[in-house]
Amino acid sequence: MENRRIPENIIKVVAVASDMITPYGKGTKACWENIFAGRTAISKLNRFNASEFQSEYAATIEGLEYHGKDSLVVQMLASLFGKFKGLIPSDAKLLVATTKGEIDLIEEKILAGKKDVTENSQTVFLERVSSIAGTKDKGTIISAACSSAGAAIARASAMIKCGRAECVIVVACDSVNEFVYSGFSSLMALDKFTAKPFDKNRSGLSLGEAAAFVLLMSKSRSRRENREIIGEVLGWGLSDDANHMTGPSRSSEGLILALKKALLSADADEKDVAFISAHGTGTVYNDSMEMRAFNAVFKDRKPIYSIKGGIGHTMGAAGLVEMIIAMRALREGKIPPTVNLTEADSDAEGWVSERERSIPQNKIALVTNAGFGGINAAVVLG
Amino acid sequence: MMALCGIGWINKEEYMCVMKRLRVRYKDTTSFDGLSKKGIFSYPFKNFGRLDDVSKMVCYSTALALKDADESYSPDHKRDMGIIGTNTDGSLQSDIDYFKDYVDCDRKLSRGNLFIYTLPTSPLAEAAIHFGLQGPLLYMTAEKAKLPLVIRTAEDMLRLEESQSVLVGINNKDEAMYFVFKKDPEPESPVLCEISKAISVIEKEISLLEMAEEFLMIQKGKC
Repeated sequence: MENRRIPENIIKVVAVASDMITPYGKGTKACWENIFAGRTAISKLNRFNASEFQSEYAATIEGLEYHGKDSLVVQMLASLFGKFKGLIPSDAKLLVATTKGEIDLIEEKILAGKKDVTENSQTVFLERVSSIAGTKDKGTIISAACSSAGAAIARASAMIKCGRAECVIVVACDSVNEFVYSGFSSLMALDKFTAKPFDKNRSGLSLGEAAAFVLLMSKSRSRRENREIIGEVLGWGLSDDANHMTGPSRSSEGLILALKKALLSADADEKDVAFISAHGTGTVYNDSMEMRAFNAVFKDRKPIYSIKGGIGHTMGAAGLVEMIIAMRALREGKIPPTVNLTEADSDAEGWVSERERSIPQNKIALVTNAGFGGINAAVVLG
Repeated sequence: MMALCGIGWINKEEYMCVMKRLRVRYKDTTSFDGLSKKGIFSYPFKNFGRLDDVSKMVCYSTALALKDADESYSPDHKRDMGIIGTNTDGSLQSDIDYFKDYVDCDRKLSRGNLFIYTLPTSPLAEAAIHFGLQGPLLYMTAEKAKLPLVIRTAEDMLRLEESQSVLVGINNKDEAMYFVFKKDPEPESPVLCEISKAISVIEKEISLLEMAEEFLMIQKGKC
């Protein structure tokens, strides 16, 4: 692996626009301010009856109509792109990161006893996203479990670096619905109340929902078009544990591999990393797996945080929301607290904090995600 | 050099290792499920019966592609090889199976063993676990040209040295085809053609079987 790095003369990839809708409301500002205030958006569900499940809590976006005219993610995307309509470059390629997309439409059909459940829904979904985002490109779905957004950022950056596209819009979205909620409950993955990432008393994740987008383009084009650069994708590493369908690796070797690949591809040293936006779901095994990996890769403790105590685990959207927050953290020189953290677990002590922290300038950030099937993603941002 | 080094194809009646010119009609002697015990895998696939149909198809075709590429694997060896898959429906049938079962249980009981196959990456993850693939793993789909899409993604991965080799392919309900692509393959590694040549074949709007036969012709032309 020693020689694996993206050649320096290759095209640089920058982010020039982004936004999100989360359980805190519309806009990055709402998410940023609430996370920094240490508020959680996780509350008792009223979207469907969850009384039979392991938990009745989740972080949902107000005002969405469940089993209404449009799917939950389409409602989120319509709200997200409202003010950006017509502003996305017409030649932008479209990548859509999601785990279950419009699964609520299938739910609705099954519950209604309809027979046309098997119609192809992926192409129709892509058409909807393309129409909402205003791209000519009909788009590609990228799914890598809860690492979907990280994988999509990697693929978008690769397309630009390899000259396949000058401009790519990455859209990520997933919703809280009975399908997904019952599934996570069956795997006993949910905290009864609110997720407490990296806490000594954590006992599971809380599901959340979100939609976000990041517009990536070559640095040369951003200069040509006089666009403000809000962040740079310096590198990435994708890997798989090759270990278990749902449980994280006990040795963390997959995430370690992804982290090392990411740093090598960015031609960066571990000491250059100012902070890590961790996956930090709040499950006992995930957070321990991550801490083992961070301990293996970094000589000194790095500031780490997770935003999932605030907005819950937004699945396919998680990595993109986290990337947008991390880019802003780099710009503003401070990182948010880990919401719901009371007492750090012994392996996370000195890494995580319940308070915001300032970070040094001219450093880089890592955003990590891990998903079912052992899929890991690490993205290096500058 | 980025090269095509192995192709595995299977449907519900026969299978093929294209470069080895191995074509076996199994339907008359064993069932689709029974194939798992007939030497397709180098070592026993633990609990193969619990896999959903798509996962079985993907695991068979990836095993055949690895065999075609002379890539050995074992339970105690993992490698930095990626896997990218595509299809038309994602995990639609598994989604339906899971949710109907949940509804049949009065929306009170959901089964984790059905839920885990409701991700389109689950078949790829099953293959990654059995074959020890620790490289990038993802599912992609688009309206058209699904196979060229994932092959070009594999090309990007190899060009940017994200992985030294990638398994990439497509499945549907009744057949699957996976390819092994490598960057700078070892001298002893079989090579069918460069990735650009492979893409020119894959971009033709022909069936997977016709594609396999065209690659077979390329292989014969080399000999």
